[in-house]
Amino acid sequence: MKIFSNKNFVAWYFVLPVAFIHLFVIGIPSLASLALCLTDWRGLGEINYIGFENFIELFDDRYLKKAIINNVIWTIAFLTVPVGIALTCAYLLTGIKRGQMFFRLAFFFPYMLASVINCQIWKYLFHPIHGLGGFFERIGWDFLAVSPFTMKSTSLFAVAFVDGWHFWGFLVVIYLTGMYQVDNHLYEAADIEGATKFQKFRYITLPMIRPVFVFSIMIIIIWSVPVFDYVYILTGGGPAYSSEVIANYMYSQAFERFDVGYSSAIGTLMFFYVMIIVALFGLFRKAGWDI
Amino acid sequence: MIRTIISFASVIILSTSFSALAKTKVTWSMESNADRDPIMIEKLQNAYNNSQDNHELVIEFEDNETRLTSMRTAMIGGMGPDIVETPGPSYVKEYHAAGMLENLDSYAAEFGWKDKMIPWAYSSGVFEGSLYAIPKTHESMVMLYNKTLFEENNWKVPTTLEELEDVAGKIKAKGMNVFSYGSDGWQPTHEHLVGIYLNNYAGPQAVYEAIIGEREWTDPVFVEALELLKKHMVDEGYWSGSLENYYAIGWDDFHAQFANRGAAMMTIGTWTFQATQLGIGASDDEWGWAPLPSLSSQSPDPNFMIAIGTTMSVNANGKNKDGAIDVLNWIMSNKDKVLDIAKDFQFGEMVVPLTLSSSDIPTDIAPQVQDYLSEYARITGEGNYGYCTWTFWPADPGVHIWKDMEVVWAGDISVEDFLYDHQKMWDKARKNGDTLPVPLRN
Amino acid sequence: MIVAKYRSREVISNYIILIIFALIAILPLAVLIFNSIKPQMEFGVNPLGPPSEIRFENFSEAWVKGEYAKVFFNSLKLVAGSVLLCLAVSLAAGFSLAKLNPKGSAIIAVYLLVGISIPAQLYIVPLFLLWKEIHLLNTHIGLIIIYTALNAPFATFLIRSYMIRLPDELFEAARLDGANTFQLFFRVALPLSWPVILTAGLIIALAVWNEFLFALTFISEEGFKPMATILFAFQWRFENNYALQSASAIMMVAPVAILFMLFQRRFISGLTSGGLKG
Repeated sequence: MKIFSNKNFVAWYFVLPVAFIHLFVIGIPSLASLALCLTDWRGLGEINYIGFENFIELFDDRYLKKAIINNVIWTIAFLTVPVGIALTCAYLLTGIKRGQMFFRLAFFFPYMLASVINCQIWKYLFHPIHGLGGFFERIGWDFLAVSPFTMKSTSLFAVAFVDGWHFWGFLVVIYLTGMYQVDNHLYEAADIEGATKFQKFRYITLPMIRPVFVFSIMIIIIWSVPVFDYVYILTGGGPAYSSEVIANYMYSQAFERFDVGYSSAIGTLMFFYVMIIVALFGLFRKAGWDI
Repeated sequence: MIRTIISFASVIILSTSFSALAKTKVTWSMESNADRDPIMIEKLQNAYNNSQDNHELVIEFEDNETRLTSMRTAMIGGMGPDIVETPGPSYVKEYHAAGMLENLDSYAAEFGWKDKMIPWAYSSGVFEGSLYAIPKTHESMVMLYNKTLFEENNWKVPTTLEELEDVAGKIKAKGMNVFSYGSDGWQPTHEHLVGIYLNNYAGPQAVYEAIIGEREWTDPVFVEALELLKKHMVDEGYWSGSLENYYAIGWDDFHAQFANRGAAMMTIGTWTFQATQLGIGASDDEWGWAPLPSLSSQSPDPNFMIAIGTTMSVNANGKNKDGAIDVLNWIMSNKDKVLDIAKDFQFGEMVVPLTLSSSDIPTDIAPQVQDYLSEYARITGEGNYGYCTWTFWPADPGVHIWKDMEVVWAGDISVEDFLYDHQKMWDKARKNGDTLPVPLRN
Repeated sequence: MIVAKYRSREVISNYIILIIFALIAILPLAVLIFNSIKPQMEFGVNPLGPPSEIRFENFSEAWVKGEYAKVFFNSLKLVAGSVLLCLAVSLAAGFSLAKLNPKGSAIIAVYLLVGISIPAQLYIVPLFLLWKEIHLLNTHIGLIIIYTALNAPFATFLIRSYMIRLPDELFEAARLDGANTFQLFFRVALPLSWPVILTAGLIIALAVWNEFLFALTFISEEGFKPMATILFAFQWRFENNYALQSASAIMMVAPVAILFMLFQRRFISGLTSGGLKG
């Protein structure tokens, strides 16, 4: 945008309010908290400097490793299933005339409900006594009678499923916003040339919504780092840490074990993890990606 | 002139009567429960407020988990309620270490609190030689059973491991679960079971020695105790049928399961009495209780584990410390009023550890509860008491004991490795001075 | 004619796929609706099915117990304030990052990205102490500022990703006509960006409407509490009463659903009339 470059200072006025509010509310308090990573503070009382002891402990912590791996699995799961479904549905929605409002409302409805409600619904549905579990037991499908939240092998995916079920409608709305920028005449021209549904998507829709699409990928990766509420409400990270994620582990260290210093060390680790992700975005951008 | 005097006089009268009416507000942030809150308002808040003219007690109810976090945040900021309610000594310890609680020694001496309380309960609030907390309720673990069901089948209420395993087999053969219990909604539920197996297998003496640091948690008796728990939980599915169902079942469900014969027995704390009375107590079946069975020859006699459910302290930064002290003293000095509250909860809550004589036990509560109260007093009075983890374990090992127990049950680590980690945490806590008061065992 | 036939076949398969996904999204919610009109007594015997007797009293009971008349307006105030403030700062920042790209603004972008990933547990205690110092505890404006900070990074990037696709020629033409940067923002960028303004506004409104962690921590005065904290209270105060909980959940979602339909109406009419001509 060469034409604006001489207006640099005016351009800065536009970004400063956001930066200022965010720094004030989140940035500075977070830094204050991260500074505790070299202490053994227990949330109350005196603060002792203990050097890098917390970090040494950190690299020895098998449940933290588990949590990090789970966070990565979580990220990959969210980058594939909800994105795929949401892109399909958003695209198909642009191709129909009747029932627009019904479908949009249906897809988005789980996103409108508070997390506690969604969790309660699914816990209820999966409940071994009064949920579908009891139903499956009655018809003899015993393998479905156990709540997936309580099995080590399935708990993480069960929680991710509920969160994903609630989240993909959000992606539909985001993609629809982007698809709004696509000129209908392009589709009409493609129709006349006999393009298939997939070809139209691949050569018209996707390039047009690329910034919104890349935004969604970016926001999923970033949002997967502090994922907390669904894990906390549905399983608390259990059973046996099988659905543990970093933010929940950090919460448990600070508010159950009162090990605020250690929890801050985990926070610092998260910070570096995010910096790496952001650096990767920077590299893609340098490589010419329009993000 | 006369008008001026009259108006002047009326101003004085108004202002004096105003100051007489103006009570200072005392705030108390209390754990909320739909069934209990109205009774607390009526029989604690209103009863106290009507008893004197100086202070106005205001109880603020909140869900315990949020309450703890928001109260903690407020206390760090030098705010918070006048009466600080915590879920046990490990919390008191943290607040005390931060200098946020008022030293109660002089009031205890002035009002004679020590003589009014059960000695071990008094000492649970003593930190560095001074009193900082008073238990609001104390509790123990018991075994409930469906008396009607047991009589129909001629089952014997188990008192030993052999009898337990025998009757468990018979119960399962009837298609029922042995115990009704589950951890959904409260993950620390596991520690109830861990405590039972430690105390009733290894014995209270061994647990006591480990708490005061004279025995290692890696001792074979503890390993065997937890191996037995693992066998009963994972292999036998004693609680609600399977480990997975135990994880999936919450408070309402396990009471319903016990009431509708889904399970024949239940291992639970005495806080259950009200719910039990409302649950199975309202069904056609009669319920009974028994001390938890002895699980090995190391622990042959029945014992009751002692525990503090909730504590009360005075906020050192509170706006109305005098008022807070006055409320506590009202509780300590009005045994009849406090018993009247506990009565409404079937002695499941607000059981302030005041020394009671057998004539103090109300007769208009469930007979099982009356029976329990006198047995509890007799057996603990003889020194046969065990230790609940949430009252005697420091914060870090206190979380480890239930959270990581899942890892043992999942088969990811061995009981030995678990107890090795556990000992390390105790060592660290001891080194940092985080251990909690333990009454001397005679 | 061939084209039309081909398209109608396509439309049918579109509908089939969409209906399948719509059912996945809303079928589980049937439980919620059934539960909200079911008598509490029936839960033991019929937990999943439709109620045998319809009991609308659950709603009125939840309304009274939750003091919804009062908390509704608190929530409304918080939503309105947060959406306005957050949109204002995010639109400006999104515009700058998309079209102006001042030198060094990448730092702000990186900062905001990192900012999105910070979990609340990390900063809530220091923030509380700060809010206490500057007397923003127990005020709605204090929460509005927090909600703005929480949602602004997301909104900024969403808006940026939309504005980046606005044709540069329009801005160049306006610039040639003598428009300054502010005029470019108000006269060119904003009018063309209404779809993303509606979307971002909706997402922010929803986030604020459902938020309870900060509301519970920063508002202790009963009279100031918003709706989500009441719903949270229902979780424990009436833990055994699924009927009241479900009724209050539905009352909470109803206003947002209406808001959503109002916002989306604009999109749908826009789509069918040919969309944005760029």
